[in-house]
Amino acid sequence: MSGLQWFLVLFGWFSVLIFVVGNISKFVKFSTMPLNLRWEVYPVPHEPGEKRHYGGSYMEEIDWAKKPRHSSLAGELVEMGSEIFFLKRVREYNAFKIWPFSMALHWGIYLLFAWIFLLVIEAIFNVTAISPITNIVGVVSFILGAFGCLTLIIKRATVEDLNIDTPPILYFNLLFLLSIFVTGIISWRLDPSFEGSRKYIEGVVLFNLQTIPPIVIVNFLLFNLFLIYTPYSKFLHYLAKYFNFHQSLWDDAFKEKGSPKDMKNLEQVGYKFFWSGPHSLPDKTWLENAQIIEKGEKK
Amino acid sequence: MKYKIAYKDVAKVTDDPLLKLKVEDLEKLPYLEEEPPIEPPKEKWLETYDFSLDWHTPFDIPKPKTQEEKEQLVFKFLSGLEKLFNPQANWTFLKIFKLTMEYCVRCQTCSDACHTYIASGRQEIYRPTYRSEILRRLHSRYFTPSGKLLKSFVGADIELNYKTVWRLLELAYRCNVCRRCALYCPVGVDNALIAREIRKLFSQEMGLAPLELYKKGTRQHLQKGSSTGMIPVAFNSTIEFLEEEIAERTGKKIKIPVDKKGADILLIHNAGEFIAWPDNPAAFAILFDAAGINYTLSSESVGYDGVNYGLWYDDIEATRIGLKHLMIAKELGVKKIVVGECGHAHKAMCVILDRVLPGDFALPQLPRESCLPLFWEIVKSGRVKLDPKRNDFPVTLHDSCNVVRLMGIVKPQRNVLKAICTQPVREMSPNGPMNYCCGGGSGFAIMNTLNFPQFRKKVTVRMKVKQILETFKDVLDPSINKMVVAACSNCKGAMRDAIGHYGLWDKYRILYSGLVELIVNAMVDIPPFLKWELEE
Repeated sequence: MSGLQWFLVLFGWFSVLIFVVGNISKFVKFSTMPLNLRWEVYPVPHEPGEKRHYGGSYMEEIDWAKKPRHSSLAGELVEMGSEIFFLKRVREYNAFKIWPFSMALHWGIYLLFAWIFLLVIEAIFNVTAISPITNIVGVVSFILGAFGCLTLIIKRATVEDLNIDTPPILYFNLLFLLSIFVTGIISWRLDPSFEGSRKYIEGVVLFNLQTIPPIVIVNFLLFNLFLIYTPYSKFLHYLAKYFNFHQSLWDDAFKEKGSPKDMKNLEQVGYKFFWSGPHSLPDKTWLENAQIIEKGEKK
Repeated sequence: MKYKIAYKDVAKVTDDPLLKLKVEDLEKLPYLEEEPPIEPPKEKWLETYDFSLDWHTPFDIPKPKTQEEKEQLVFKFLSGLEKLFNPQANWTFLKIFKLTMEYCVRCQTCSDACHTYIASGRQEIYRPTYRSEILRRLHSRYFTPSGKLLKSFVGADIELNYKTVWRLLELAYRCNVCRRCALYCPVGVDNALIAREIRKLFSQEMGLAPLELYKKGTRQHLQKGSSTGMIPVAFNSTIEFLEEEIAERTGKKIKIPVDKKGADILLIHNAGEFIAWPDNPAAFAILFDAAGINYTLSSESVGYDGVNYGLWYDDIEATRIGLKHLMIAKELGVKKIVVGECGHAHKAMCVILDRVLPGDFALPQLPRESCLPLFWEIVKSGRVKLDPKRNDFPVTLHDSCNVVRLMGIVKPQRNVLKAICTQPVREMSPNGPMNYCCGGGSGFAIMNTLNFPQFRKKVTVRMKVKQILETFKDVLDPSINKMVVAACSNCKGAMRDAIGHYGLWDKYRILYSGLVELIVNAMVDIPPFLKWELEE
């Protein structure tokens, strides 16, 4: 392989590595942040039965702290699924009617990953039977993604409520994604059977890259950059969304004495208080601050 | 075309407000042909205080006179902003705060969730993302490498000066923290929390908070025993007064239990009820006595006032008050605390305190519950004989955000109303967890400094007024008495404002009440309890 081919192979692997490591490190970072206070919002989808539909909770009963808790994993999965696959809240609540465009963009990305996954499967297992499906997935991904990016850019630029003071970085993100999908469309139009893309993936996976069309190189280089950029940009909002819902909006579990949550809490109330307001005692711990009402008061 | 206020405008060095509210710009109210105009601030106020956000303010803090004073404010603000991102200084909310700051995708889906934004005629500065974006840009500019390097490309373009700091403080008090926006957000970010975090920064680092929340709020609560200023002796006198009132109105000699060791329940009211709506604690006493509930009130300082204003603006003040409540319950040896009709006290005691204190105060160790499920237990048990015909008038239910959206207590109060009223309960639209805030949330109901009440009456309560009028649209005839039930003191405060300001009692005979008063009104062995009059 030439120097350029080696670069493409190694850069391909590097981008995947950064994507995976970046996602894991962010996941670990978010997971290890301090245990926040309960801050749930109802409806909470793991409430069993009709409660999750009307927004009820276990606190509607008397003596709830002494009763066994029931929760519905199915309810949570349905809610998560409707958010991930159908962008439920955007559809129901967004006043600027961005739902079809946002759906196109999101499904463009989902299918882009599916397309590459299928190409990898083909390369590793040498299966050509799924090639027609792979091709369709690729084409649909590029068209949906490009349509979604373009329409969202137009929406953001023309709807005053979305446009006002938009920092260039938000347009950059959409244009960046658009460039991946547009180069994908061009490579498909020049090579309808995606032979160049197959060669690229096979070459990267098996460390044996052959000569491939420049547009395919550009398409995958952009995708590789996208993988590297994602964990450190707003594109990572999928991970933030998981934590926002599971550890804030739906986190309705009260702690038991002596439980790991209680132990963590105990550690946290032992942190120094730091704040400098007139009623704050920055040299004392959180718990000491809670026990002292006035500055100068003996504990 | 209307000029859209940009984020950078927050730094404009001028005393001219970014926005001058006008009645004609506000959301139109049905069935009301005219309303009082919006008055500008008094001339003498303008000289002394800062009205540069929207011509309203809840802060009677004189404007800084010297450059040094201004710089000091900016310096302290930056110090506090840094602490908001510190895992030890802000462990209570860091995760939600940081994720909201970093991952809002600016789809503006939350805008239409906000009653303040809609009511104002969709004014940019009240958009849920407006204050968050300013804080985000300031943090980016001063504390992140990308902001320092890429500046306006990533939006780190807001100048930080005294005006920015002051307007941000004001903006934090233009949100009721009802968190309807969080329910709408596709990414689950919480712009209402950002409002609260800004309040926290100003309070915990700079000691800046509205008079009614800080000095006359949590400080007074902790120092005197109640945010109303009521000291223990006065509380005991109030209880005696209530006993006499009950005897006079019902013929029942009821001894309200106070400091009864080993009672099953410690009942904690919002002490504002004793002063503004004494019928509410009286109704509790009548109902609990009739149902044979083994309960007690506390006369201990702080123990007779369940409010916790810290919930709205300051973590440590919230914890101090909460800890006092729980320690009093422990000393009395009660099996659980039941919170009276006060929404934020519900949330503070049953939810927030769960993770700010050690395990001895965990919920299974010392259960804290809402009074609403207990009401339903009493009503459905048949222990108290009730006649729904006593409540034969149109009724609608206002859902307190703290109780409903933030605790999921939706059905018990509806079940009670269904059982004690003859007419079906008229649901507002929207209702339940999707309800609109009363407009008094997060302290607004009690914030009466300078011209802030005008902002509350004109903007934050507006959507609730609209809802109430639409709910009763077929029975607006003033010969029919109508009732808005709100099982929350702050909500009742907002209702009182709304009904008074828009003349809903005079024009349409629309009144408000707590829930327990309606239950007691239905008790067959005493005379009707409700008073159909608007108390200002």
